[in-house]
Amino acid sequence: MLFATAGPAVASDPFTPVAEQVAPKLVKLFGAGGFRGVVSYGVGVTVSPDGHVLTAASLMLDTSDLVAHLWDGRRMKAVVVAAEPLLDVALLKIVVPGKPAGEPTGLNLPHFDLAEAAKRPPASPGDWVLGFGNMFEIAMRDEPVTVQRGVIAAVTKLTGRRGVFDFPYTGEAYLIDAITNNPGAAGGALTDLKGNLLGLIGRELKNTLSETWVNYAIPVNATVTVTEGGKPVTVSVPKFVEAAVAGKYKPVRKEATATAGGGYHGIVFVPNVLARTPPFVEDLRPNSPAAKAGLRADDLISFVDGEPVPSVSAFQALIRRATPGQTLRLEVRRGGGLHTVELTLAEPPKAKK
Amino acid sequence: MPRLLFIAVLCVPLPSAHGQEPNEATERAIKSAVTSVAPMVVRIETAGGRGVAGDAGVRRGSGPTTGLVVSPDGYVVTSSFNFADNPSDIFVTVPGRPRLVAKRVASDTARMLTLLKVEASGLTVPAAVPKAEIKVGQWAAALGRTLDPDTARPPSVSVGIVGALGRVWGRAVQTDAKVSPVNYGGPLVAVDGRVFGVLVPLSPDATGDTAGVEWYDSGIGFAVPLEDVFAALPRLKTGKDLHPGRLGFAPEKPDAEYNVPVTVGTVAPDGPLAKAGAKTGDVLTAIDGHPVAHLSQLHHLLGPRYEGDTVSVTVRRDGKEQTFDKLTLAGDSPAARPRFLGVLPLRDDPEPGVQVRAVVPDSPAAKAGVKAGDRILLIGPATTTPDAPKAKAGPPLTRDRLAAIIARVPAGQSVRLTVKRKDGGKTESMTVALADPPEKPIADAPLPSSRKGAKPPAAPAEKKPKPETGLLRRTNPTLGREYWVYVPDNYDPKVSQGLLVWLHPAGRGGRDANDVVKAWKEYCAERHLILAGPVSKSPEGWLASEAEEALTDIRRLADEYQIDPRRVVAHGLGTGGPMAYYLGFAARDFVRGVAVGGAPLTTQPRDPDLTRPLAFFLAAGKKDPRLANIEEGKRKLAEKGFPVFYREMPAAGPSELDAATVEALKVWLDTLDAI
Repeated sequence: MLFATAGPAVASDPFTPVAEQVAPKLVKLFGAGGFRGVVSYGVGVTVSPDGHVLTAASLMLDTSDLVAHLWDGRRMKAVVVAAEPLLDVALLKIVVPGKPAGEPTGLNLPHFDLAEAAKRPPASPGDWVLGFGNMFEIAMRDEPVTVQRGVIAAVTKLTGRRGVFDFPYTGEAYLIDAITNNPGAAGGALTDLKGNLLGLIGRELKNTLSETWVNYAIPVNATVTVTEGGKPVTVSVPKFVEAAVAGKYKPVRKEATATAGGGYHGIVFVPNVLARTPPFVEDLRPNSPAAKAGLRADDLISFVDGEPVPSVSAFQALIRRATPGQTLRLEVRRGGGLHTVELTLAEPPKAKK
Repeated sequence: MPRLLFIAVLCVPLPSAHGQEPNEATERAIKSAVTSVAPMVVRIETAGGRGVAGDAGVRRGSGPTTGLVVSPDGYVVTSSFNFADNPSDIFVTVPGRPRLVAKRVASDTARMLTLLKVEASGLTVPAAVPKAEIKVGQWAAALGRTLDPDTARPPSVSVGIVGALGRVWGRAVQTDAKVSPVNYGGPLVAVDGRVFGVLVPLSPDATGDTAGVEWYDSGIGFAVPLEDVFAALPRLKTGKDLHPGRLGFAPEKPDAEYNVPVTVGTVAPDGPLAKAGAKTGDVLTAIDGHPVAHLSQLHHLLGPRYEGDTVSVTVRRDGKEQTFDKLTLAGDSPAARPRFLGVLPLRDDPEPGVQVRAVVPDSPAAKAGVKAGDRILLIGPATTTPDAPKAKAGPPLTRDRLAAIIARVPAGQSVRLTVKRKDGGKTESMTVALADPPEKPIADAPLPSSRKGAKPPAAPAEKKPKPETGLLRRTNPTLGREYWVYVPDNYDPKVSQGLLVWLHPAGRGGRDANDVVKAWKEYCAERHLILAGPVSKSPEGWLASEAEEALTDIRRLADEYQIDPRRVVAHGLGTGGPMAYYLGFAARDFVRGVAVGGAPLTTQPRDPDLTRPLAFFLAAGKKDPRLANIEEGKRKLAEKGFPVFYREMPAAGPSELDAATVEALKVWLDTLDAI
């Protein structure tokens, strides 16, 4: 009789077993910081039985005195093995006294199989998720981390518009509708309702356009491609963890992109007198790329490659990052309509002397 | 034990008929509802507008926003939030179609919605959940189009439940789904794919383009029922803005919302109640037959109504009830304007009555023969019959009481003053026809301004023995916020001080304290003024959302120093200006004056509140590119009925005041408590 009534109630509370299964796979981290604006605590997910911990690449790790509290209350030292700023992640190793680095620790910790997790299909908006973190340093030693419930709000890049986010990671992120990204939550686990690891909860991040806080996680299969030595190089979380656990990870040296130097378009704008003069075309140089593309005087350039261009300065900043030969898709306001124009930048004409 | 429980869970057969765990079924149902509404959820981008000419100022949320298709021929409804700056260019992307230019058709200022139109046809329109079917506890998903620029992909989702109905005076459904600039303008979707409403920032106790934004992601979010949106659509399509419907009166006790009957304080001239013949002192007892026991019930009954709607109002007068039928509600028509007598009262005066420090030339008081040095002892209604009873003696008349009474005298009515003449002269009575506050400032304010050596009437018993003076740089211990205060060295706790809150321009927070003090020091000592300088969090300028926090410490100065509540002024030049305007409207209980140079008004002004007066001193350089915008703001404030003094400076740049304007500002500051 007791079971008959208790059964369905328990079954419709599926978060309990997941929480119990996930919580031991997290460690609470305590490191540098504590002064204004820098949080000195965080959390990480265990990714090997031997005590490898994946966490956010935060300033907190910048100490020789990094401490990890395991779920069972054990207090251990930890060291940073490798960090990848492009992914905003770092791999730590828990140190067991008397066991030199490189030797098995014998810890046999509950852990996530990251390679396995990365193979699963990514989550999509509306998927129910749980977030695990140590927000506001509420837990120490064997006290459990905090569990929150929410859904995936979106799967998108956080760098849709330059300058909106002050953030190194340029890949796709999970945005979450729960308020997960509090102080101390960075490095926490985002899981599905079966306890599968979906991502690593990020830091506190503000959207400077809307002045609102954003809750996000870096997916377990996060991948970013950058240029190194003139060649594209792809970094990903599973590869990072694999190499770092093997002690072979070499951070990528991303090249500065300021070498583009711009291209010639031949648009003459209205005088840029205000901080946000809208990019109205006043005139076009004869035979210039802009003239050939079919731009006209009085066109208002509104979007470049889908991104809003609110001012002459914003347009010029965009051009500085482009190269001659590059084609930009301009959406221009002309009369009551919006026209799409393909503008191929050219080499700047030689100055007449 | 936990392990055991875990095993038990796995063993219990899943209860769902389809072998599906119930949460999973819910998750799927919500996702499918989202998918079915997604094609009607549009992305909106804006450019240009009032903000173009301004610089940082009070930064507001900008960037993309969300909208919902409401008719197949291209009408889209969205939150007014992103239209506060009146953007010149609006672009709408309907999923699966190229980006289109949109026009703003009209706004609903009661529900903070804006209707847009794009040239399109054959759009799919969502089905509304009828209000009668909306129940607390139903699943609700809030959708937005701002996070992902690609409209081919799913909209953003936050899942919660319907938390309450009839919120914000009957205008909105509440939800605990996360509502923020991420999804303002988007739909709140039911699990069956119909739409509860349109997500908006709303606040029960504030109006304005951005009111309620401070609650973003708090678990308290609002949506205007789509049924109401559809009902308002035909009127909005005509291009006329819809305003909240008003009866045209101010209650006697505007802050007592739940405990006292609604007694009419002042009746707005030409307002619906005035036209019907309602009077000060009438008690409102019912609207359309629904009983009204207190103010909040009235708000609930009137909240959903628009300008032009008709209601019947029952009032009780002298114990008898009478009903005014078919009153047409007014919109944003001018509220009752403050009345003006034309005297400058002497401050810190413990004796009963109000001693006249100066009489404003050509004012009603001057015309009636009131002279400097006279003491106003009584005020009462003027009567036409000579043998009418004399003005009744209430509690002793003070400066603040006289000001409150005068400000609320209905337009066109006169008052009778009992005045004791200067230097032991005789006591006389006179009838004074009150006027509008003057458009020109008072030319001069003679000293002394305070009763010498008198004990201030409202002095707290315990004051610090020796309050700190000079330039004080302080940090709030809990919030970590820096601010500075300047108290003149001759500070005397027996003399009430004005308070000038300096809102620094972007990037100058704290660093301009010495310059500000240097400019004001002499005046502070002579005219008893304290300066306070809160500091913005970001070097890029002020945020509306930090207003209350920034004021926390400034408000506390009143515990430490003798601050005259009638002379607290928010002052900003250039990029500090918008914050000064903002504080004027947001901190209505605290700020009595707003002094701004070189900054246009960027919010919709609220109505004047006769119990909490607010005056404006505006200046603009003739060469300022924002001159036209600043003048537009001045016009709007004056139309609302705020006392506005405006100066155009022939040679001044955008964020400075010329010498003559500074002098005028100084006199204005010392005459803010003119009655």
